[in-house]
Amino acid sequence: MKRRPKSGDSFGFLAEFAGTEELLEAIHACKAAGHTRMEAYTPMPVHEVWDALGHKSHLPKLVLGGGITGGILGFGMQYFASVIHYPINVGGRPLNSWPSFIIITFEMTILFAALTAVFGMLLLNGLPRPHHPVFDVEEFEEASQSRFFLLVPWYDPSFDHDKVPALLESLSPLSLNEVHHP
Amino acid sequence: MIAPGHSLGSVTDKISSIVLRRTTPRGWFIGLGIGLLLVGVLLTAIAELLFKGVGIWGLNNPVGWGFAIINFVWWIGIGHAGTLISAILLLFRQEWRTSINRFAEAMTIFAVMCAGLFPLLHVGRPWLAYWLLPYPNTMALWPQFRSPLLWDVFAVSTYATVSLLFWYIGLIPDFATLRDRAKAKPFKVIYGMLALGWRGAARHWERYETAYLLLAGLATPLVVSVHTVVSFDFAVGIIPGWHATIMPPYFVAGAIYSGFAMVMTLAIPMRKAFGLEDFITLRHLENMAKVILATGLIVAYGYTMEAFFAWYSANPFESSMMSGRMFGHYAWAYWLLIACNIVTPQLLWIKKVRTSVGALFVLALVVNIGMWLERFVIVVTSLSNDFLPSAWDTYAGTRWDWMLYIGTIGLFLTLLFLFIRFLPMISIFEMRTMVPGTSKKEDA
Amino acid sequence: MNPTPLSENLGRIQRTALMVGVVGSLALLIGAFTSADQFFSSYMTAFLFWLGPTLGSLAIVMLHNMTGGAWGFAIRRLLEAGMRNVPLMGLLFVPILLFGIGHLYEWSHADVVAADAILQHKAAYLNRPFFTIRAVAYFAAWAFLAFAMVRLQARYDRHLEIGALRQMKSISGLGLVIYVLTMSFAAFDWGMSMEPHWFSTIYGLIFVVGQGLATLCLAVVVASRLARHEPFSRWFEPRHFHDLGNLVMAFVMLWAYMSFSQFLIIWSGNLPEEAPWYLHRIGHGWQALALLLVAFHFAVPFLVLLNRPAKRKMGVLAVICAGIFVMRYAELFWLIAPAGGAPFHISWMDVVAPIALGGLWISFFIRGLRGRPLVSLQDAKLLGKLEEAPIL
Repeated sequence: MKRRPKSGDSFGFLAEFAGTEELLEAIHACKAAGHTRMEAYTPMPVHEVWDALGHKSHLPKLVLGGGITGGILGFGMQYFASVIHYPINVGGRPLNSWPSFIIITFEMTILFAALTAVFGMLLLNGLPRPHHPVFDVEEFEEASQSRFFLLVPWYDPSFDHDKVPALLESLSPLSLNEVHHP
Repeated sequence: MIAPGHSLGSVTDKISSIVLRRTTPRGWFIGLGIGLLLVGVLLTAIAELLFKGVGIWGLNNPVGWGFAIINFVWWIGIGHAGTLISAILLLFRQEWRTSINRFAEAMTIFAVMCAGLFPLLHVGRPWLAYWLLPYPNTMALWPQFRSPLLWDVFAVSTYATVSLLFWYIGLIPDFATLRDRAKAKPFKVIYGMLALGWRGAARHWERYETAYLLLAGLATPLVVSVHTVVSFDFAVGIIPGWHATIMPPYFVAGAIYSGFAMVMTLAIPMRKAFGLEDFITLRHLENMAKVILATGLIVAYGYTMEAFFAWYSANPFESSMMSGRMFGHYAWAYWLLIACNIVTPQLLWIKKVRTSVGALFVLALVVNIGMWLERFVIVVTSLSNDFLPSAWDTYAGTRWDWMLYIGTIGLFLTLLFLFIRFLPMISIFEMRTMVPGTSKKEDA
Repeated sequence: MNPTPLSENLGRIQRTALMVGVVGSLALLIGAFTSADQFFSSYMTAFLFWLGPTLGSLAIVMLHNMTGGAWGFAIRRLLEAGMRNVPLMGLLFVPILLFGIGHLYEWSHADVVAADAILQHKAAYLNRPFFTIRAVAYFAAWAFLAFAMVRLQARYDRHLEIGALRQMKSISGLGLVIYVLTMSFAAFDWGMSMEPHWFSTIYGLIFVVGQGLATLCLAVVVASRLARHEPFSRWFEPRHFHDLGNLVMAFVMLWAYMSFSQFLIIWSGNLPEEAPWYLHRIGHGWQALALLLVAFHFAVPFLVLLNRPAKRKMGVLAVICAGIFVMRYAELFWLIAPAGGAPFHISWMDVVAPIALGGLWISFFIRGLRGRPLVSLQDAKLLGKLEEAPIL
């Protein structure tokens, strides 16, 4: 167990690359060197990168759950209101007019699933998070524009304050910076 | 789908500079000015309405549904193209959508806002519109869940919510780009807050893309359901001309039809004004023209079936409704709508027409008019001649009806002009994936 | 070309199918003489069932000509073989035209019409000569389109004529319009007019969607069998099945959407001229079949296909598609058999007729597959998949 980091401690090393290819090479090189908990930053979604890092989200299951909840709530609400709480004959329709109730059930399913997808994604990503140590690196502005970054953070099991920069330097990055805990 | 010679940097530059540059073209002020002027008209019409009541509209007995419903359906329909472009074409991996989806999504949201105004105002006391929602109350009353009008409340509010989320989610990475590029401090802060601290981490992207695809998968049946519910507003009743089982698919097709026409109407001047010919290429316009042609044919199928079954049903009310439409008081509207919606769009079979920007612009306008007329014909002809001949009456919108309608066009334009000035109208991060040499999107 | 095990296998299936077809037809012939009403009801259902993959093939090829996509190239030859059966279906319709109208349609009886004002109104459309002329016209249109597609594709394959490709595309646009219109009216004529008072404007589209669905399902099943053998195992990829799985799901949803819309509108309207049609089909013992349709024509396939991995696994997808294909028959049976308020019944002919017609259909289908490259050589080269197009 590592000790709790203090302000100013090293957060990790951040290397900048020009393209996906270089970034992927760097990821493979770091993996070969035994690093397992790296993070990459790209200006657009790149499947190969998260495949290389081994990410796989559980979001679809959450969304399915959200949808089912919404559907049950939707139908339940209509059933409760029309059959249990205030039963009233409308145009001779049965109290449980299930064909009519399907529409709102469907809409509620979609609504809950969509809300789960969006807020689930944000929550799992730990967003909103206004500040992150990597933002202190000046070059990191380019991460949202045209450059690719690889971070080997302090919490990586084989993080070594001397070996990591040497390894990254050997991959000839466009820039290499140490990130500090704020 | 992107002109050659672009790199990640140049795409970012080109699109974000539209938002971040300090000078604003004069045309933008003129456009916004016109929009705001019409918003003034809208506010006047609403003020008069709230002051005097819906009696200032042209509604009468038997025509209890007039401009408000026509315009509601018209606007909702226009919104549908946005969802179609952003969600359905994404699922079908039609990459040409990338440069127009943001714009189309914005259009959806603004169109739904305009649409929502009409039923809200039509209820007479909009400040009590929350009565439409089911909530426990002291009177133990519940809304009528068997009514399609209530289905509308759920469908449209779900649609508005999901569209907004879809749009905002799509904007987050671009907000991050703008945050990192903005020079002026206030913009940096505002865009920074909107970006929610997005930093483009790979694991975030992975969840992001999953969420985006899931939303697209959810939005697709949703958009179909919304116009289906709108068609149920008519079809589950037993009014001749309304009660037809073909209504749901033909309404949905009509919505996409009018929506694409609106995208075209807006995109053609926009790409010219902002020099976006590299991103919204002629091929985009041609593809949209093909969608317009295809959906137009489905609409034509709907009209054909209605006409055939008006006779085949052997129901005197059905056939008198149809002959009323064709030869009665509103025959001009019916034949004009046939000309606008069915006859002229057949020109799109010709490739020359599909690739002529001027012709497409005119055709798109014609379809916009035709689709408004379609709703006018459906709403008004069926109501004005109901089952009891002694109750028949004609209907025409008053100037307040027209002011409200034109006013919402102003609201739409105003929002649109604000959008293109302050938000990237083309998705920057998605355009980056189109740059050759960077990694392609794997099959979804 | 040496006979491969696959080729021999197919030859055996073709012969067996033909035998089943002939034997089944003979059995049906006996049925026709013992109970003609029942025979024509069963025969019509089976006919409409096998018309599905025939015309669906035509429609999907035309659709693919307009949209493109790898999934279409993968199954194109199967679809072409399917649409080559249009003449066969035309031939199979002759007995209905010659002897069946009186047994199937009450509007064909002068005494019934004389006592019914509505039928008198409809007599301008629902009468024997016009019915026959329309049927001939439908088949002429379908045969023309199928013939044009097969011919143009052959020209393209042989000489790589870009002109043929372009021509195919331009025919396809108009062809789809013609197909949807003719099939809609064919559905009104052959299915809807069995209960001549009833009408529903979406009825034609439900048939069109059903035909597309039947075709895709059959294509997936056949492709999954072929993909077990070399060289097709290299030709069919998981992504093809994934795309096809998505299409099947889209059609399942579309079918459910249209069927439910029709039900909800008629249920809400509750009019005496419309509601009886459903009362005939959700009462009198038919309700179990209706529920079966909801479960296995929609809910189960839909839920399974929501799963991404299920669509990429050929085996799972094939089972689902086979199930839907069977349910296509169930739906048509549910549409046709209860006509006029008949209580629930299944005759032996309801089982034999689809098998007999299926035997004939499949044997001709395999005949259409064999002797020609099963994969268009041009497509294969274009996609860089195979050096030479394999022939069965």
